Amino acid sequence: MGLIERDPHTGHGTTGHEWNGIKELNTAVPWPVWAFLIAAFAFSLVWWILMPAWPLGTTYSKGLLGADERQVVAAGLRASADRRADWTRRVEKESFTALLADKAVMTDVREAGHMLFGDNCAACHGVGAKGGPGFPDLTDKAWLWGGSPDAVLQTLRVGVNTEHADSRVSQMPAWGRDGMLKEQEIRDAVAYVYALSHPGVTKDALGGNAVAGKTVFSANCAACHGANAKGDIKMGAPDLTDRFWLYGGDEAAIQESVFNGRQGHMPSWEKRLSATERKILALYILDMGRSGQ
Amino acid sequence: MFGTHYKLERYSIGLAVAIIVAASIGGLVEIAPLFTIHETVERAPHMRVYTPLELAGRNIYIREGCYACHSQMIRTLSDEVERYGPYSLAVESQYDHPMLWGSKRTGPDLARVGEKYSDLWQSEHLNNPRSVVPQSIMPAYGFLKRTELRTTDLPKDLAALKRLGVPYTDAMVRNASDDAKGQADPDGAWADGVRARYGDATHVRAFDGDAGTVTEMDALVAYLQVLGHLTDVAHASEAGAGK
Amino acid sequence: MVSTMTANERQAALVISILAAIVGLAMAAAGRHDPLGVHGAMVLLTGLMCAFWVIRDYYKPEPPATRLAAYYDEPIKAGILLALLWAAIGMFFGDWVAWLLAYPEMTFDAAWSSFGRMRPIHTTGVIFGFGGNALIATSFHVMQRTSRARLADQFTPWFVLVGYNLFCAMAVSGYLMGVTQSKEYAEPEWYADIWLVVVWIAYFALYLRTLARRREPHIYVANWYYLAFILVVAMLHIVNNLALPVSWAGAKSYSLFSGVQDAMVQWWYGHNAVAFFLTAGFLGMLYYYLPKRAGRPIYSYRMSIVGFWGITFFYVWVGSHHLHYTALPQWVQTLGMTFSVMLLIPSWIAAANALLTLNGAWHKVRDDATLRFMMVAAVFYGLSTFEGSFLAIRPVNSLSHYTDWTVAHVHAGTLGWNSMIIFGAIYYLVPQLWKRAHMYSPALVEFHFWSAIAGTFIYVFAMWNSGITQGLMWRAYNPNGTLAYSFLDTVIAMHPYYIARAFGGLLFLIGTLAGIYNVWRTIQAAPARTPQSDQPILAVAQQAGS
Ligand code: HEC
Ligand code: HEC
Ligand code: HEC
Ligand code: HEM
Ligand code: HEM
Ligand SMILES: [Ca+2]
Ligand SMILES: [Ca+2]
Ligand SMILES: [Cu+2]
Repeated sequence: MGLIERDPHTGHGTTGHEWNGIKELNTAVPWPVWAFLIAAFAFSLVWWILMPAWPLGTTYSKGLLGADERQVVAAGLRASADRRADWTRRVEKESFTALLADKAVMTDVREAGHMLFGDNCAACHGVGAKGGPGFPDLTDKAWLWGGSPDAVLQTLRVGVNTEHADSRVSQMPAWGRDGMLKEQEIRDAVAYVYALSHPGVTKDALGGNAVAGKTVFSANCAACHGANAKGDIKMGAPDLTDRFWLYGGDEAAIQESVFNGRQGHMPSWEKRLSATERKILALYILDMGRSGQ
Repeated sequence: MFGTHYKLERYSIGLAVAIIVAASIGGLVEIAPLFTIHETVERAPHMRVYTPLELAGRNIYIREGCYACHSQMIRTLSDEVERYGPYSLAVESQYDHPMLWGSKRTGPDLARVGEKYSDLWQSEHLNNPRSVVPQSIMPAYGFLKRTELRTTDLPKDLAALKRLGVPYTDAMVRNASDDAKGQADPDGAWADGVRARYGDATHVRAFDGDAGTVTEMDALVAYLQVLGHLTDVAHASEAGAGK
Repeated sequence: MVSTMTANERQAALVISILAAIVGLAMAAAGRHDPLGVHGAMVLLTGLMCAFWVIRDYYKPEPPATRLAAYYDEPIKAGILLALLWAAIGMFFGDWVAWLLAYPEMTFDAAWSSFGRMRPIHTTGVIFGFGGNALIATSFHVMQRTSRARLADQFTPWFVLVGYNLFCAMAVSGYLMGVTQSKEYAEPEWYADIWLVVVWIAYFALYLRTLARRREPHIYVANWYYLAFILVVAMLHIVNNLALPVSWAGAKSYSLFSGVQDAMVQWWYGHNAVAFFLTAGFLGMLYYYLPKRAGRPIYSYRMSIVGFWGITFFYVWVGSHHLHYTALPQWVQTLGMTFSVMLLIPSWIAAANALLTLNGAWHKVRDDATLRFMMVAAVFYGLSTFEGSFLAIRPVNSLSHYTDWTVAHVHAGTLGWNSMIIFGAIYYLVPQLWKRAHMYSPALVEFHFWSAIAGTFIYVFAMWNSGITQGLMWRAYNPNGTLAYSFLDTVIAMHPYYIARAFGGLLFLIGTLAGIYNVWRTIQAAPARTPQSDQPILAVAQQAGS
């Protein structure tokens, strides 16, 4: 190997080559390198023998352990279901009243509900279930479809305005856009509805006349919202006299609701969440409403 | 060994050939069998293809780089199955040229987000995520609603995919532009054609809330709403275990 | 640049510039309703500008034969300046998107400025713009010096540089317009991909032709690595980018592969883009500049051999570690994981060989910030490959995948290893190429070093924390068997780390800008004498003979 020259610092010989001043020592590969290489290969070899590893034409070596990550995950899911079983079985069997009164179960419900609600419902109803424009607050006392456990459970199962066969249907017509009412009639109706929840205001709002609006209301709106405008949970028609608003209680929002109509869409969770999970969520909401007030 | 190398390193072509050989083996052994081992991709006889509108939406998803934050691949880990639903199967992306499995989850996995939320929520969320999720760090895509969808090229898109093996029929290719418009306008003239060609389960809706114009928002929401719904083999198989 | 070319080369340059302009015109016309048209206009403009330059100097006197007595360094200088320009662009966008993850409103209400479009500008800008130009420039330097031969001609280097930067510019401007294939690190569309193949073939040919002129019978290790970089990147690029354009008049194409096969091809590419772009090429850099600056011989020729072939052979197997627990068959994942573990050994051989080379020169490391950049690079190389092999182990990856832990790993590699070695090489090269005694301000080099180190540490620690926190939160179960956190909880928990990361990135960016300023002032300073020894063998022989 050419001229051998020794490096004064390490004492190793060079290879005898030089590239623009760079030389190389011909130092032997230190033994730990070989040791680690062999160790890493041995580790791999063991893994290849135990696990699915090498392709063989139209199949592959399955490994001695017969490991299959899909079975591992199935087992993992069963294990966590088992860990839940002692309290979820109670959730499944017992009545809402009993469960809501049981501190221990409710602790589990709150823990479970946090993630279930956070990953499925919070997008619309908010992390604290306080709702937002178009998405109802689930902690207040105003319920579109009723606040009984069964009503809530039903809403979760079938949703509102969904493709589910039993879906709840909620339809606030577009009185203006579809030309069912004249512009002035709408202004009057809006004034009336606005006045209902604003005791100070009696007659005029947004260029409308509340007195005239009452007539419009009785003729067109009472069918759903009720003669006293207290709403109707069979149709999901909201109470218009309280201080809770789905789409906002200012004049512009009411005008928008009446002119263009509203069709809230609440998904059905029957396919995505199990019956138990839905019951946990119903408990979670009802519990939040309790502590929220 | 070092002696042989001592000779090899004198020949640049020899070195080049040796490098190519050494660097080819791994790829060949790992990639080629994915085409020959049949169990690699499960069978899903009733799997449907993306409609032209959904495909346009998918191309917007690619264009905007949503894959930089969202995966579409639920791994075989129990926490992922509990959070997102059955783990993803290879067959579910068999028509995805290219796949969008992703490598980063700044936002949640979207493989099964279809029909999880309403169209209204999806378009509000895309328009301004923080209006519905105040804590969100997702960008606002306000221009989607303002931009009309370009549908004229869709027949060419479908034709290209057909050549790559996606089972589009000639009628689907021919009617792609009208089908895109029809899917976003449920009461319009072209809506029935979409249902006839792609099946009754196809979502035919005004995805952005306005049936009048077909916007990029319509397309993207249509795409998001079909994610995880091209086939239900994942729910039928072990992937859905525990649910 | 033109005045250094021979008449024949000027002719070739003119013909090719005009050809490019014609192709650009065709693209612009065919794609006038599409982003392709914009890229056509860019190609047209580049072609015209080059033609103009050539014509302007076309009848200047030919360079004298004595040019052969010197190395051809002009393209290297251009490459370094381009690398620095891309560094500023790429890191600026990197820090911008970093701030966006903490404060999503810090942008315009425009399509081009959303996170998803700017993130690939960052990755392409730094990897291909900054890293790629640095690789091309240093390879031109290293191949000439280690062959003691001048570049094979005066035209091809410019073709490679201009062509490559045209590719980068098309890539980055494409993302702004929404042109992307969505394949990570291979986002540019079909026509840009084809163009890169042309450029790459010219690059490879140039490399071989220059090596053929060498005076030393043996090819130096650095060149093995550069060769592996060029060859394997070509192979990866061609296969992963196979696609069917929707039409010749549009930018959009559909990948030939789909689903699981596409995923495997993508990460076979993606991982090896890291391996042969960010590792092999950079090891070439390390193997030249570190011993040069330290004034020490390479510790072990034999370790170089084992390291090189280990890296070349093992790396290609490990791409599937990006797809653990996915719908990719488990057998491929096993191979990806086991080969990743074995890969650690050659990686550490390369790192150890570099660090052991410093034996006897540690006092220089202490005093010389330039050498310190290189030393730190070798350390970070060792660190990030260790981390990489660790992350490739399936159970570890089940925690790290999809989280910021990957991002921490990426930036330990790219900031700590790639950027540091580039800056080390640049601080070595700039005074030498521009024939200055030293950098304008050695104090500013020190400043750059420490802000880069601080920035890297802050970035990487922040992302380790956020990544591991997020991974643990996703899988955390309550004792009662239910998941503990919603996804949104984890988004909220990341906020402080995202601020820290953006701040660390800012430090790194400031260091880079200080470096650019320093380079600029060095170029402006008065020249010093040429060192006699920095000449091709040929010239030395001639001088001795005359
Ligand atoms: C896509 C948005 C969306 C999501 C996600 C969503 N909801 Fe709703 N939810 C709504 C809307 C809109 C309404 C009001 C429907 C109406 O207008 O009648 C509603 C109504 C309800 C009601 C009835 C309120 C009342 O006053 O009667 C309950 C209970 C409810 N949601 C619970 C949930 C739970 C629990 C989840 C998660 C599993 C959930 N929601 C997810 C949009 C959503
Ligand atoms: C066919 C039944 C029906 C009729 C008739 C009807 N509404 Fe409604 N209205 C609804 C329903 C259902 C909702 C809730 C929509 C939702 O949940 O998305 C609603 C919502 C509203 C709201 C929004 C309440 C809020 O909380 O934001 C206003 C205001 C309103 N109606 C006013 C009227 C007026 C005024 C009329 C008559 C001109 C009228 N409605 C007639 C069914 C009806
Ligand atoms: C900067 C990262 C980022 C980008 C880019 C991004 N997202 Fe998101 N995305 C998020 C985050 C964080 C969330 C969770 C918070 C929320 O719901 O807004 C999210 C949530 C979502 C959700 C709700 C998922 C669920 O199950 O709750 C959908 C759907 C979605 N994004 C779609 C998109 C689409 C489509 C694009 C591209 C046009 C996109 N995202 C781009 C970060 C991003
Ligand atoms: C100023 C310094 C830098 C900052 C602030 C920065 C910031 C970022 C950010 C915010 C991301 C996106 C992460 C995410 O999606 O969560 C990213 C990704 C990335 N950056 Fe940087 N970066 C910097 C420098 C660099 C450099 C110098 C390189 C390469 C040479 C680089 C290579 C990458 C790569 C490859 C990715 C993609 C990672 C992945 O997909 O997992 N970065 N960077
Ligand atoms: C032995 C060497 C290495 C191994 C085994 C390795 C392994 C890995 C692994 C396991 C991942 C995570 C994949 C995932 O979960 O998504 C990864 C990501 C990554 N690594 Fe490495 N790594 C190595 C060295 C390096 C070096 C030196 C660099 C850079 C200079 C680097 C850059 C990257 C990048 C950019 C990614 C992100 C890919 C993406 O976009 O998702 N790696 N690497
Ligand atoms: Ca990535
Ligand atoms: Ca590409
Ligand atoms: Cu990798």
